[in-house]
Amino acid sequence: MQKTADAIQIGETLPITKKAISQRQIDCYSGVRPHSIHTDVEWAKKKGFAAPLAQALMSTAYISQIMVQFLGEGFVKGGKLSAAFIKPVLAGDVLTAHAVVTHKETEGDQVRITVECWCQNQDGVKTMVGTASGLAKDLKISGTRK
Amino acid sequence: MVEFKELSYEVVEVGETFMSDDFLIKPEDVATFAFAVDDYNPWYFEESPFGGKITHPVLLGNQALFMRHCKYMISAGLHAKIQFEFLEPTRPGMRVRSHGKVIDKYERRGRHYMVTQFETIEESTNTVLTRGQFTQMLFPKSGVHQDAKNS
Repeated sequence: MQKTADAIQIGETLPITKKAISQRQIDCYSGVRPHSIHTDVEWAKKKGFAAPLAQALMSTAYISQIMVQFLGEGFVKGGKLSAAFIKPVLAGDVLTAHAVVTHKETEGDQVRITVECWCQNQDGVKTMVGTASGLAKDLKISGTRK
Repeated sequence: MVEFKELSYEVVEVGETFMSDDFLIKPEDVATFAFAVDDYNPWYFEESPFGGKITHPVLLGNQALFMRHCKYMISAGLHAKIQFEFLEPTRPGMRVRSHGKVIDKYERRGRHYMVTQFETIEESTNTVLTRGQFTQMLFPKSGVHQDAKNS
């Protein structure tokens, strides 16, 4: 059950999602082909990487998972996601996806909830940073940002 | 007949357009994606509030990203940024296609980037499901990428 807009607090931290990324998952996401930095070990090394890279878009899926759990329908229809990929993610890395509520704004007869979001690896290094937002169901909101 | 070229900063032109192949979203695509990102939300396999099954919101992100492959050979590149706007739920059984346009290319700190705007459309109704844009860093022809050392 998703929260109503008035029950969502600025500064609220959403549950963290943890992902241990296997080569098999990367293969399924990207499709196996030769000369791919995602699925061809030798090609990734030739391009200077220690191991094949997870596709950057996989991190947006982790943030989407958090947002669907948080806002439900209001993310699936009306959601937005903006991300910058700042460090490569390699096969075998363990990422955690994080989100914190930063804004609540009236949008028509709904309320847009915005979070700051990021992914970080097992060493605590941020690999993706961005924002995501979606529409909350309830109109009874207090403390809406002007 | 498509004449494929190697994608490079010099070759790509602002204003040029892309179109993906059409793609029928099959239950096995939904299952494969769920495994790949380890997300088995029941909305994707049973029933959703939209009536019937939907798919993960970013399931079609790769179709948008890969539409450039319908024109170019792309040996490697790094994804720098992406923006999504989810307008309508995507469902298994839909036949979809992504359309895109290069809206910018630029050089920053010795690196080359291209920016592509896209829309993913359900073909039978022409409904826009998702739109957005992505920025891709293009590898130099020589091969080894500057960011490789941070691994």
